[in-house]
Amino acid sequence: MRAGAAAAVCRYLGIRLGQALIALFGVTTAVFFALRLSGDPAQLLAPQGASQADIAALRHQLGLDAPVWRQYLDYLGNLLHGDLGYSYVQHEPALTLITQRIPYTVNLALAALVLSAVLGVGAGMVMALNRGRWPERVLTPLVLVGQAMPAFWTGILLILVFSVTFNLLPSTGFNGFDSLILPAVTLASLSAATIARMTRGAVLEQLDRDYIRTARSKGAGTARLVTRHLARNISIPILTVLALEVANLLGGSVVTELIFAWPGIGQLTVQSVDGRDFPLIQAIVLLAAVVYIAVNFVTDIAYAVLDPRVTTTGKAAGP
Amino acid sequence: MRNHRTLVPAIVIALYVLVALCAPLIAPFDPNHADLAARLSGPFATTHGHFHLLGTDGLGRDVLSRIIYGSRVSLAVAAATVLVSGAFGVTLGVVAGWRRGWLAAVIMRLADIALSVPFFLLAILVVAVLGPSLVNVVICLSLVRWPRYTRIAYANVLETRERGFVRGAVAVGAPGRWIVLRHILPEVAPLAVVVGTLELGLMVVFEASLSFIGLGVQPPTASWGSMLSDGQQYVASAWWLATFPGLALFGLVLTVNLLGDAVRDRLDPRRRVPRRVRRRRPGLGEPAAEPITTALEADHA
Amino acid sequence: MRTSRNLRMAALIATAAAALAACSTPPSGGTAPKAGSAGTSLTADLASYPASLDPGLQYDTDSYSVYRNIFDQLLRRDPKTNKIVPGLATSWTQKDPKTWVFTLRSGVKFSDGTPLTAADAAFSIQRILDPKFASQQNANFSAVASATGSGNTLTITTKYPSPTLLSYLTTLSVVPKADVQKVGNAAFNLHPIGSGPYTFVSSIPGSQVVLKRNDSWWGPKPQIKQVTFRAVPSGASRVADLKSGKADIADSMTPDSATQLTGSSGLKVLSAPTERVSYLAFNTIKGGATNDPKVRQAISMAIDYKSLITNLEQGYAKPVNSVLTPLAEGYPTGLPGYTYDQAKAKSLIQQAGAKGKTIVMATSPTYDPQIVQAIQADIQDIGLKVSIQNTDQATYLKKVQSPTHDWGSIRFGQWSCSCLDADGVAYPLFHTGTIWSSYSNPQFDALVDKARQTIAPATRTQLYAQAYGILNKDLPGIGLFQIDAIYGASAKLEWTPDAQQSFFVADMKLAS
Repeated sequence: MRAGAAAAVCRYLGIRLGQALIALFGVTTAVFFALRLSGDPAQLLAPQGASQADIAALRHQLGLDAPVWRQYLDYLGNLLHGDLGYSYVQHEPALTLITQRIPYTVNLALAALVLSAVLGVGAGMVMALNRGRWPERVLTPLVLVGQAMPAFWTGILLILVFSVTFNLLPSTGFNGFDSLILPAVTLASLSAATIARMTRGAVLEQLDRDYIRTARSKGAGTARLVTRHLARNISIPILTVLALEVANLLGGSVVTELIFAWPGIGQLTVQSVDGRDFPLIQAIVLLAAVVYIAVNFVTDIAYAVLDPRVTTTGKAAGP
Repeated sequence: MRNHRTLVPAIVIALYVLVALCAPLIAPFDPNHADLAARLSGPFATTHGHFHLLGTDGLGRDVLSRIIYGSRVSLAVAAATVLVSGAFGVTLGVVAGWRRGWLAAVIMRLADIALSVPFFLLAILVVAVLGPSLVNVVICLSLVRWPRYTRIAYANVLETRERGFVRGAVAVGAPGRWIVLRHILPEVAPLAVVVGTLELGLMVVFEASLSFIGLGVQPPTASWGSMLSDGQQYVASAWWLATFPGLALFGLVLTVNLLGDAVRDRLDPRRRVPRRVRRRRPGLGEPAAEPITTALEADHA
Repeated sequence: MRTSRNLRMAALIATAAAALAACSTPPSGGTAPKAGSAGTSLTADLASYPASLDPGLQYDTDSYSVYRNIFDQLLRRDPKTNKIVPGLATSWTQKDPKTWVFTLRSGVKFSDGTPLTAADAAFSIQRILDPKFASQQNANFSAVASATGSGNTLTITTKYPSPTLLSYLTTLSVVPKADVQKVGNAAFNLHPIGSGPYTFVSSIPGSQVVLKRNDSWWGPKPQIKQVTFRAVPSGASRVADLKSGKADIADSMTPDSATQLTGSSGLKVLSAPTERVSYLAFNTIKGGATNDPKVRQAISMAIDYKSLITNLEQGYAKPVNSVLTPLAEGYPTGLPGYTYDQAKAKSLIQQAGAKGKTIVMATSPTYDPQIVQAIQADIQDIGLKVSIQNTDQATYLKKVQSPTHDWGSIRFGQWSCSCLDADGVAYPLFHTGTIWSSYSNPQFDALVDKARQTIAPATRTQLYAQAYGILNKDLPGIGLFQIDAIYGASAKLEWTPDAQQSFFVADMKLAS
């Protein structure tokens, strides 16, 4: 039996890996061809006074004058050798340019995630458990401010208050732990709203279920109710939202990075798209797809762990 | 109490819609009338004989009039996007969760792909391929946002389908479509409403980033999002530029969420029907489900 | 009560997690000193991270603001008069219309100790011309046929007599041939070595570059010992950095943020007119209404130039009489300026039968949307309808540079050729068949073709006076105003910016 279970797990992992590869292939192919419809990198690279011939020469240098299918085959060939190409603009390997930025994005994403998860889940629970009473009435608008305030607005206000007026924290750039706080708060204020609202919904739904009523009738206090009974049952919807936020944050947060001059993936993405830096864009998309697929894979496994009913039954092990 | 909770936000939202519809009647000035000499006047300023209640922007246009006119684009785009992406996303999520197998694999991997393409890139590609128009804004935003609903619906369906009343329905051979409509959707809807109401505010802001790259409305047409982003560089010097459209947006998000809460409660199956009745009778003509639901009831007692 | 305990817990966990995240933070590449603390270190906020540190590749403001401090340029411009003056080359002569000979300063060394010779200078040009290097500056040096160096003598031959060669050589930074060949282009770009007043210390890609003073530089010893260039893309954040003392100087300020800075204590605004000009160009080939010179003339009279300059640009701009600035060689001083005359514009539109017609105005977010909308309002006031088509820069270029000329009727843009020469505008913008031109006039073409191969300054000026005279009447484009470069700076900083937007830290001083 145990060997059978292990084989099933292996098979499941294998299927998922296969699916992931197909998805990766799909997204890179779609982006590759769509990009080539979207503009000419040589036009952007050439100086203002360049002639038609100068631009044509540049295009030839970048290999953009070859037929698109040829370019695509070359791209795939290089990809198989682990070569993601050279940035047109920065003249460095695309992979190097991305890996330089990853630590910053991961740091910011982690800090923002933890902050928003803690605040969001906390606020959501409080709202649900105090439904219709003053804590909910106070928290609802507070949480929603984050949703209605664009990041650039929150970000600049935080800088004005904490850097310019009180001179407590650095305004921009990266210089140690201090400089992580403001951008993390800015990002968290946006995701915390979503998490709080989802938590509230999930908790309310559970509160109406019978097992909670039973526990309550047996005299369980709120604290015990939350830790013992609720935690596991609300974890699936919350986990789903968290996974979406993780993937979002790891993709890089464009506006927040721009405001705080944070050297993460988000800024790199905008620059590369603006400059039609094809190899760099393709590399970023590939990386982002890997991250998303991985995060969602982990999430799906977590569902199974948290709620064995979800996957133990049914013919296929789920997607 | 319940009426009150639904009624007040509903009235406020109706007011928003009314303002958008009657913009030409309400707005004190032409929203696009520029007066460079009067630019960046604060609230309550009177310039060249015109009283600007909420001040003027960087081109000397009346901020109040632009907020009123801007509500048209913002409300239309946000509502359409939430409806399109919500309906599409929830449907796919429910199908994936119910059917599972290869269909679910395809849907969920598609969702992964849609989530993984950077928004900015996707928007540029949409402009390049489809060209700029408001309909394309809705298409572009829906393309990015549907997977959120899908993943949430999917997870919820996976959990719901293992619950007693669904298993019971399956056990008695109730048709799948019927079970989905009767049992699964009512469980998914409350969560989808929560997500949708949150998305509404975000979509207003997203529209602005699209007009920035030429996909959304073209200047000088006003939208709240573009007013917010135009006001960005003036946060410290001309606070009214971003604050007032921001407040308009906040008011909308708040009321929509309050309404969402009320709607969620109404959609919630356990609140819709008195508990005991529902537990005893998960669905009409489904007596064999009794044992399982009764077993659950035992917990209750 | 339970609530507050929960929240306190939450705060605790959040702090712990944030601290954890900080532990895994990569070590910062450079020790960025607190601005002004030592008095001799400077922090400068640029709008973006330099696209390259190799001076042979990119030539955009943010890149050269950094790398020109690491390298010496072959020639320089006097910051006050804009005349070409010695840099690495101490003297130069023209042997024949196509051959130039430069004598290089002796005793100059790269910071790795190797002496700088004419061979290095020749190599610096050759690599830009090498198609494999795919340098974006290739077009600037396309007139060069060959560059050879021996000892202290650099000889450059051109394919045709090129009056703008010296001008472009002021942008040429000299790189060490031996080092570039040894480490390769990619490694050199990451760790550049030059002979300039500062040397490269470290960088955090996307964030900052740190340079320190090169004490063995041949020029006068700069006061500032260390400089940190930071990439801060948001204008509002750059202002905040200045106000909080995090930065000593910030580049790319808008006129509105400058006005905001003048009110803050301890800060000041530095500005200088540049060769950058804001312009409107018309589609005279497939522009619909704008094919008619009368409509173009009417539009030129519809625009309230003075209001644009005083209200929108807050005085950080100057009127011009053509799509060129007075700083450029060959500026047609004798031409009349543009006039604002709404009544006459309206009657011209009537005469042309264009009343009520819709024209498309192409622009991109790169250009100030406020100016575009102000111009739109001005033109609508004389009876035309203007529909703005704002697309991202790549799409804008694709449309505007398409040989089919179907991009609309008017476009707004900014022009700078980094050459301070009339040719750098007249040829690429209006000559028949060039990528930006939707105008064709054989008479104008002949004048420009002749001028661009004429060396004698007086003859050139005369030819350009005639060529720009045609543009002034025919109006394929309108120069709106000359743009100022605006910097925000600490009041302690002493520096005079110049027309080239050179960011020579060696010329700056910080009072303690």
